Amino acid sequence: MSEIKLKSIIKNFGGNSIAVDNLSETFPAGEFVCLLGPSGCGKTTTLRMIAGLETPDSGEIFYGDKTFFSSKTGELIKTENRNLGLMFQSYALWPHMTVYKNIIFGLEMQKKSLEEKEKRYLELEKLFHLENFRDRYPSELSGGQQQRVALARMLAIKPSLLLLDEPLSNLDSNLRLEMRSELKRLHHNLGCTIIFVTHDQMEAMTLATSIAVMNDGKIEQIDKPMEIYNNPKSLFVAKFVGSPQMNIVNSKKDEKLATCLSKKINIEKEKVKNFGIRPETMKMVKQDDGDINGTIETIQPTGADWIVGVNVYGKSLFLISSDPPIGKENDTVGIFFKPEDCHSFDNNDLRIIKN
Amino acid sequence: MFSSNSTSQNTLIVSLKIKLSKLLLQPTFLIGIVLVIILSYLVIAPIVSIFSNSVSLTMMDAMLSGGKDGEFTYKYIDRVFTSSISEKIFWIPLKNSITVSFFATLIALTLGLILASLVTSTNILGRKYLGFLLIIPYMLPSQAMATAWLTMFKNRKISGPQGMLESFGITPPDWLAYGPLPISICMALSYFPFAFLLFSSALSKIDIQLEEVASTFGAKTKAIWSKIILPLLIPTTMSVLLLTVARTLGTFATPYILGTPAKYTLLSTSLYSSVRSNDSGVVAVIAIVLSLIGLMLLLVDIWVVRKWQRFVTVGGKGIKRQPSKLGVFRMPTTIFAWIIFLIAALGPFIVLALSTLMREPGNFAFSNFGLAYWTGVNVPGMDQPGIFTSPEVITALKNSFLIAGSAALICGILGLLIGYAVVRLPGTLISGFLRQISFLPYLMPGLAFAAAYLSLFAVSRGPIPALYGSMSLLILVMVVTYLPYASRSGISAMMQVGPEPEEAGMVLGAGFWRRITTILAPLQKSALIIAIILPFITGMKELSLVVMLVTPGTELLTTQSIRFLDFGYTQLANATILIIGVVVMISVLILNRVTKTNLASGLGG
Repeated sequence: MSEIKLKSIIKNFGGNSIAVDNLSETFPAGEFVCLLGPSGCGKTTTLRMIAGLETPDSGEIFYGDKTFFSSKTGELIKTENRNLGLMFQSYALWPHMTVYKNIIFGLEMQKKSLEEKEKRYLELEKLFHLENFRDRYPSELSGGQQQRVALARMLAIKPSLLLLDEPLSNLDSNLRLEMRSELKRLHHNLGCTIIFVTHDQMEAMTLATSIAVMNDGKIEQIDKPMEIYNNPKSLFVAKFVGSPQMNIVNSKKDEKLATCLSKKINIEKEKVKNFGIRPETMKMVKQDDGDINGTIETIQPTGADWIVGVNVYGKSLFLISSDPPIGKENDTVGIFFKPEDCHSFDNNDLRIIKN
Repeated sequence: MFSSNSTSQNTLIVSLKIKLSKLLLQPTFLIGIVLVIILSYLVIAPIVSIFSNSVSLTMMDAMLSGGKDGEFTYKYIDRVFTSSISEKIFWIPLKNSITVSFFATLIALTLGLILASLVTSTNILGRKYLGFLLIIPYMLPSQAMATAWLTMFKNRKISGPQGMLESFGITPPDWLAYGPLPISICMALSYFPFAFLLFSSALSKIDIQLEEVASTFGAKTKAIWSKIILPLLIPTTMSVLLLTVARTLGTFATPYILGTPAKYTLLSTSLYSSVRSNDSGVVAVIAIVLSLIGLMLLLVDIWVVRKWQRFVTVGGKGIKRQPSKLGVFRMPTTIFAWIIFLIAALGPFIVLALSTLMREPGNFAFSNFGLAYWTGVNVPGMDQPGIFTSPEVITALKNSFLIAGSAALICGILGLLIGYAVVRLPGTLISGFLRQISFLPYLMPGLAFAAAYLSLFAVSRGPIPALYGSMSLLILVMVVTYLPYASRSGISAMMQVGPEPEEAGMVLGAGFWRRITTILAPLQKSALIIAIILPFITGMKELSLVVMLVTPGTELLTTQSIRFLDFGYTQLANATILIIGVVVMISVLILNRVTKTNLASGLGG
């Protein structure tokens, strides 16, 4: 088990924008790292470069003491020889091979004996509840079963590094929950390094031991999940993580509200381009009891809680509360927020650290 | 100075090292480069040669007029466009070609649209079967319709056995037997299935919700068709129009069989007679004109498709349109559709088959029927052996299988290889170049391409010996002509599979050849079978491409049937065509079995 080190990785597909832009980062051994970002941010490209399916234009990739790639020395280890596990969004199970054939493929490449293959297969069959599926073809399996076969196939050769490319996006929400806990348990038991690509911030928050938020080919922030959530380093991270999204108040467009917020957290309004408040940190109180008054516009019950849209000085703010709202549409209510829950971002969209 | 020099040398070595290991990582590069070299020669060389032929003096003319062999000259351009024979070899054929194409396309388009609407959207009787039966004419070689027509309507103007009508005592007038009218009708009946296929697929792609929305506003069926469905079919109509025109212009068999007796020449037959008279300069000029017309039609088609892009409807939920009830029109429309099937598909078969079974045309007496034309050792009145004992037919049958078979095999493999290189090397020059060059033969009508090959390979060039008169020339020309279809289906087959299955193998330690043999090949098995059967079918029917390249000994079934016709052995010609029809039908059935779907637009030629 070793760490992965990326040094000044650049990858360009020849389009207008660069896919991965001078990326340098170290993913420590044994971590469950999530690369999180919108589509086209370079997260999958980064993963594929670690796997060796793409070659960087320049830069270096190290895995422990092995050099996967270096544009300095010209070293390049083929995917075939990197000995890692990779799982695709589509699972990429071979439709012309049975479950058994799919799973032992990697062992076959290593020219393992029949007994070894059989032994490993039985282990995996048990681990992933694949009994009775041995001679089935992938098309005869359900989505969840296919996924388990793909996991088993990946793990058959006991790789110490696992790369997962959005492996849960093709599942329905129930199965996804189940698979999330399965992956978490797997990481716990195997103790290997996992790099996981997703655009789903919920998945990243629940699975990862550290999250790297990517945007435009760069890592904006890499931190523990709660740190990312509570102290986003940039406006992009703040907006991308959290659902419903953080309320963003622009100092120019929503001037009255911004003035009120700047007073509350005691910061010069001129320094701040945008303020951010998470929906669940605001409290709805009786009119004039809070920091500011607003009119309820919409009420959306989700079952577990309520999402309430409140219009404050022409700006719609969204609140989440687990208690029923105290008013109905068009009622005027007060809103209360704690200063420590208000984020502020400067002209470069970076977090302003208060002293 | 020195140190900076050595570092720059170092970086050069490093970058070369990376390039090399990438190359070894991806043998696809090597495959791509090899393909580029082969295709450049096979596709570009004939085009260059035909352009050079059009402006250089032939040896014959050099001797006659005292110039130098190969000298630059405008002689052939003048001969085609301005000389005293230009009327005969170019302008009149051009006018005739335009006339025939216009009417044939008009009829084919109308028939295709009406039948597609009836079959896809109404409760016409037997619609399930009509969908398949109506594309049968498309599978028949184009001379089937023409020879059937001739067998039926022939009059005393040309030699050989009596026409069927004449044997009943009705003498068909010349305008019905030969010339523009029968040519237009036969071409229309051969090509309407193409329009039928395209319109059917367009109709089934229109999102049913578009129509349902209209009906919520109170639109009746008639209004839905005139205001929504028909306007949405405009882009398809334009495509059908242009492609059918292009096809009719390149057709050789129909005008040769039905036009020659009336001295009614089209561009294709004019080109052929120039080839026959060894006038290679004129051949080149006419071939270039044909290609330019083809190119122009294609450009217009691309432009139309782009311009009407906004009409492309994104597929809905795939709900089928409820067949609308035709009411009192149900019977008449049903009869109409089945009559078209009868005339275009079943009719020719019956006529051809009857003619080979009757000793004397038109005599339906039982004693007049017999298998003499098939099994006879010496057919009365012809001094020719029957089909099964005729050495010519047996040779032609062997050749057809050998030539179409090898061409199809090469084409199928080449197509998938091109697909692999194009899909796996995205964004590279090789990928773009392969895509373009494999499409280039599409622009040239078969006749023009054959002319180019004739001039290119008549003598030995470099390492390649003179191929004229050999089977390899026929195989080569077929491979290159069918390449656009093969490479396009190869590309889409590779696209469909995507890189993941291979990458999954790569991660688990499978090397290149291992991935090809254990993963890619099994996955592409059915694509490969289709990629071989389709060109095989086209090759079995092929006439215009090979008619000027065959020599005694390399005759194919199609060209042999034309030879029989030339000698007036109509029955033998008809029997030969029936053999082609049967082989094609069997291939189509195999294809259907393999794909488990309705065979669609893939059939070229």
